[in-house]
Amino acid sequence: MALCSCSFPAIVSCCAAASEPQKSTPFASHLLGGSDLGFHPLLKLNQVKKRPCGVYASLSEGAEYYSSRPATPLLDTINYPIHMKNLSVKELKQLADELRSDVIFNVSKTGGHLGSSLGVVELTVALHYVFNAPRDKILWDVGHQSYPHKILTGRRDKMHTMRQTNGLAGFTKRAESEYDCFGTGHSSTTISAGLGMAVGRDLKGERNNVVAVIGDGAMTAGQAYEAMNNAGYLDSDMIVILNDNKQVSLPTANLDGPVPPVGALSSALSRLQSNRPLRELREVAKGVTKQIGGPMHELAAKVDEYARGMISGSGSTLFEELGLYYIGPVDGHNIDDLVSILKEVKTTKTTGPVLIHVVTEKGRGYPYAERADDKYHGVVKFDPATGKQFKGSSVTQSYTTYFAEALIAEAEADKNIVAIHAAMGGGTGLNLFLRRFPQRCFDVGIAEQHAVTFAAGLACEGLKPFCAIYSSFMQRAYDQVVHDVDLQKLPVRFAMDRAGLVGADGPTHCGAFDVTFMACLPNMVVMAPSDEAELFHMVATAAAIDDRPSCFRYPRGNGIGVQLPPGNKGVPLEIGKGRVLIEGERVALLGYGSAVQSCLAAASLLESHGLQLTVADARFCKPLDHSLIRELAKSHEVLITVEEGSIGGFGSHVAQFLALDGLLDGKVKWRPVVLPDRYIDHGSPADQLAEAGLTPSHIAATVFNVLGQKREALGIMSSRN
Amino acid sequence: MMRCGYGLVALPGTDARLFSPEPSFLRLPRTVHPVRIKFGSFKIRAKIGEARKEVSFYDMLGISEKGTLPEIKQAYKQLARKYHPDVSPPDRVEEYTERFIRVQEAYETLSDPRRKALYDKDLALGLHLAFSARRRYQFDEDLEDQSEWRNRWQSQLSELKRRNMSRDAGGNMSWGARMRRQREELSKQV
Repeated sequence: MALCSCSFPAIVSCCAAASEPQKSTPFASHLLGGSDLGFHPLLKLNQVKKRPCGVYASLSEGAEYYSSRPATPLLDTINYPIHMKNLSVKELKQLADELRSDVIFNVSKTGGHLGSSLGVVELTVALHYVFNAPRDKILWDVGHQSYPHKILTGRRDKMHTMRQTNGLAGFTKRAESEYDCFGTGHSSTTISAGLGMAVGRDLKGERNNVVAVIGDGAMTAGQAYEAMNNAGYLDSDMIVILNDNKQVSLPTANLDGPVPPVGALSSALSRLQSNRPLRELREVAKGVTKQIGGPMHELAAKVDEYARGMISGSGSTLFEELGLYYIGPVDGHNIDDLVSILKEVKTTKTTGPVLIHVVTEKGRGYPYAERADDKYHGVVKFDPATGKQFKGSSVTQSYTTYFAEALIAEAEADKNIVAIHAAMGGGTGLNLFLRRFPQRCFDVGIAEQHAVTFAAGLACEGLKPFCAIYSSFMQRAYDQVVHDVDLQKLPVRFAMDRAGLVGADGPTHCGAFDVTFMACLPNMVVMAPSDEAELFHMVATAAAIDDRPSCFRYPRGNGIGVQLPPGNKGVPLEIGKGRVLIEGERVALLGYGSAVQSCLAAASLLESHGLQLTVADARFCKPLDHSLIRELAKSHEVLITVEEGSIGGFGSHVAQFLALDGLLDGKVKWRPVVLPDRYIDHGSPADQLAEAGLTPSHIAATVFNVLGQKREALGIMSSRN
Repeated sequence: MMRCGYGLVALPGTDARLFSPEPSFLRLPRTVHPVRIKFGSFKIRAKIGEARKEVSFYDMLGISEKGTLPEIKQAYKQLARKYHPDVSPPDRVEEYTERFIRVQEAYETLSDPRRKALYDKDLALGLHLAFSARRRYQFDEDLEDQSEWRNRWQSQLSELKRRNMSRDAGGNMSWGARMRRQREELSKQV
């Protein structure tokens, strides 16, 4: 076709479509399918191939784009960022498109974080084009958007192992590659780390660049401000890229639709984006500056700064006040703009800290992600052509859902119950609670410290706050738990999801330490359910404990299938009382939390060897069931405590009690089974348990070892599959 | 209504991808003068306006204003087959293509009941403001937003460069400035 699309806006679609997948439909069938303009991506009119203008369609046409690996001729030539240096900007755009399709293809095969990665494809390409990693440091906050970064930095051939045992980590990890300069997983850490790297570079007298990419959600955490404040003060050269996609909490939608961003900061940022500065006043200010100019640089600079502050809207002054030079907003999907800005900033000698406000769209480039309420933030394997995820079906629901249902049932009965979470409405299940009680559910943004003290304040007023924070994220709020809650004995209830090993997310999200750091607090009641029915009862118990703080932990995963209490309403347990599940002799397994299930499995393994074990569920780590422990210690030869937590937790408390009670002076042998003293890498839950030594086979082997039957112990270990 | 990343509002029923700022015809030359850019977009708006002045969509498709959807579809198919650039006589490609686009636009508007309603309303008021022209107006506005953004950060960048001339002057005692001076001195010595 001789005509270039240039002068006719209606064919804009085909240039835009260059970045979308197309099918080569013959001309006639397009007409027949013409009514389907509201959008099946496969039915776009394929005019681009014949047009000389715009971006050459780099994706293969047809359904093959989706079901098999997309053709990526340019991306195939890039193994490391250095291979990108000779590309033109047009080729960079093509590279971005190919990179995007590669990300979609890879995530469809392995599952993972899709939306965030799609939003930063252009930014990643621009960063690696302009900067020279690994000498220049590029830090990715949280790290879940680093898939394009990993593809471009030598790990493309391993992308099929993403989040699997011995495969690539789902977040950046220093041990994995020199291009990952800082390990992330929890949010809001990159400005701090980046500042540290910048200052280190200055002390050593070097000249590389430091770039920290952080999202608007992560900006709701205090650490980001602590870091910016310090950066402004130290005035060291570094670049902070604020990746603003208006998705401040996770998931990016609740059950009923997209979630409006939480907090005042978001509205400031959106004012920034939409602000139309008073250009005339700006020009006047410039004119004034020019007149003053000449030798009076500093005065002119001051005038200009005031003028900027007056005019550029209330948002940018926030960053300016902290001492960062604000540039933006910038279209984050326009590689031209990104490259020119980054080049300018890079070549400017003494910038101090600079903040570039980049506006992106989460899930960009994949129609299903763009349209979905949650923007396909985290997905399991899916079919790229239809966007349908292959979610496994299960008889039971997740502990998260059970917790939410239990809390709803309690809140129906007691109007003082309120729930608090830190930007994790979906992950904690509190979206369900929000739907039922919109006024009683509080999302504070990524601010765990604030969440805990906020809950303490609520407790002061006689309300019953339930703080649902992941075990691993509770680490961020530890001082608030100690000082604001436990010290004052305020009845705040902590529901710690994702306790123990968590599978694909890896050690950054692993809840190994919560028993240790909660049970050592003098006033805290610490308990753990062994199955979902127990979870319901413990929620009720926590609701009933009104004179001191309490906490309970439950793992990632689905319930085991026991009968739930009627009406989802649990019955409060007697505090400090465990239960015996199986009566046996000689050897007692005392489990805490989900480890009880492993104990039961170990007991059935050993039954075939002629051993009848006693299995007990401690339920409470604090206060311990002293009579149960005394009973077990006195009537058994061996007592093994099992928990999915680190040293210093349940087992240590039991040992302390045994020692103080004189029970260790007798004949009983006590052994702990805990998580080993190292971080367990990401992988499937079964692999992780095996790596940690907490499978039923391991427990059974421990029993044999203590009884002196080494041969049988080896037999059990070698026969497990 | 989901707001897309760079500030182009996706009107329901349309696809956000139509609003790509990439199309080369609207790739305004990078200029520091806001005035010139505004002029450019006025020119385009004018061109669109005049191109749309005469014929209403119904006339173009050759149907009455009471036309039903199948009628509209049929008329569109006929005309599209006639005017499609691939089958147009080589000496009249330009004209035919222009017609084809208008026909396509007419079909797009009239086949979507919501857009048809809007269009009919405009027509009743005597305004032949094609939905796409309306959309394009919006598009232009959004594009102006885009160029405004571009101007803003361009001026921010130039200020950054300017103020760095004086930044590490003797007076600036920040830690970073001191380290930078130290580094410069060391490199001069080498």
